[in-house]
Amino acid sequence: MNRWKKKKTETIKPFKRPTLAGDGFGGRIGYFVTRAVTNIRQNVFVNVVTIGTITLALLIVSLFLLVFVNLESAAENWSERVQVTVYFDKELTSPEQNALRGKILALPGARSVAYVSRDEALKRFKSRLRGQETVLEGVRPEVLPTSFEISLKRANRDTLGVESFVSALKRIPGITEVQYGEEWVRRFNSFLNFARLLGGLLGGFLVVAVIFIVSNTIKLTIYARRDELEVMSLVGATSFFIKAPFLLEGLMQGMAGSIISIALLFGLYEGFLHNAGSFLTFNPVTSGLGFLPLEYIGGIFLAGALLGFIGSLTSLKRFINV
Amino acid sequence: MIQLHNVSMAYQQDASALDNINLKIGKGEFVFLTGPSGAGKTTLLRLLYGALSPSRGQVLIDGQNVSRLPASQIPYLRRSVGVVFQDFKLLQNRTVFENVAITLEVLGWGRADIGKKVMHILKQMGIESKFNLITQRLSGGEQQRVALARALVNDPKILLADEPTGNLDDANKNQILSIFREANVRGTTVVVATHDRRLIEQSHKRIVMLNKGEIVEQMEKEKNRDDQAI
Repeated sequence: MNRWKKKKTETIKPFKRPTLAGDGFGGRIGYFVTRAVTNIRQNVFVNVVTIGTITLALLIVSLFLLVFVNLESAAENWSERVQVTVYFDKELTSPEQNALRGKILALPGARSVAYVSRDEALKRFKSRLRGQETVLEGVRPEVLPTSFEISLKRANRDTLGVESFVSALKRIPGITEVQYGEEWVRRFNSFLNFARLLGGLLGGFLVVAVIFIVSNTIKLTIYARRDELEVMSLVGATSFFIKAPFLLEGLMQGMAGSIISIALLFGLYEGFLHNAGSFLTFNPVTSGLGFLPLEYIGGIFLAGALLGFIGSLTSLKRFINV
Repeated sequence: MIQLHNVSMAYQQDASALDNINLKIGKGEFVFLTGPSGAGKTTLLRLLYGALSPSRGQVLIDGQNVSRLPASQIPYLRRSVGVVFQDFKLLQNRTVFENVAITLEVLGWGRADIGKKVMHILKQMGIESKFNLITQRLSGGEQQRVALARALVNDPKILLADEPTGNLDDANKNQILSIFREANVRGTTVVVATHDRRLIEQSHKRIVMLNKGEIVEQMEKEKNRDDQAI
């Protein structure tokens, strides 16, 4: 190996190879970029097709993502209803309240604690029975229990999280009666898990299909230039030197495709917001439908770049050893 | 410069393209490889630039065992070997200049140096006025010279040519031959595969005759002037 490397420099010496402007690593990058840009300009049609394919592929995936993200945020809102309530038979004094509140908040998973006094409980009861207040005539606040309403952190809202929180809660002296709507929590969570699994599966299939389509499209563009690959290899180009411009080209195609698809998605989203009100039962503008968060947009951009790059890489493998 | 020891090459198991070839070509030699179609001329050349690896035996180029060279080192071998292919292998939709420049681009030369060197070699080939034409639009002889320019532009140690005069008329043949001679005079080892008898007769060089994958005859023309009836 070493012996050959020595030979190699000897081989190049007789060419009186001058020190070059485009020499060194930076110069090479310049060459590769120029090469990639020239390739794109010489094969406009093929490149438009490739970028179009990547755009559509990413648009499908990101549309799916948009729906998924909005469903997740709706689920997040619903899960606010997962609440643990601690009931007491008597009205608590202020110091008692504070002591208990401190202990509860010290538990892992507790987000906030609200005390509901007897008067407050009666007020709520009344508002719920609006129009039928007569039913409550003669009911005095003393009949109703007082309570602490505890809302949980996001991570503790699944079945296991709630149960472990409740068992920790019950160990606090003075707390005996705890309710948390077991059945509802369980159902809600199993629905959420099912939805996530389904989404993950569908998303996975989509991604695989997209990779397949894009890499085949790129394969076509490289197939069209296999002569060039062969000639470069025959005049002594290293495989990296042959591949680099194609990889860059793939990268550029991927980035262009992802930018266009994000722009299209945003257009679709805005169009939906402003026109869907006429056929939906709710107003989409005020319903809290959101566009993809910035991390996701960045993710789509990276995914596009990666898609172009990997698509080129795998396609090159088939042609590089001519 | 070139040594083959007991080299056999079989594309398929039962049919061997080359059979037990022993051949030594010294530095600065000019050798014609001849024989009928299918004798193994092209296969032999392909072994010399690392496009094939022999089934048996050893191929040494400049002291390097090509058959044991890892794939990553093959490009460096090819940089010191210029090859003119039977079908030229020019990029049809590129200009003459671009076709020749590719050899130097691969070596990492800068643009200005490539320009000078390429125009210089095109002038030697007598096609400098066509530098900006698409190769598709050149005649056969002109394309041949572009292929030669591409092979010679980095002054290779070895020049291999496969049927370089295939479809050319006499005037073109002579020009091509004189380009080979010039390269040879400058120190390049030249191996030309051809079945063109007249080409061989016109020159006084070493001849290696192949038939059915075996070397059947070797002769130095200068020593055997009377014995020209090959």
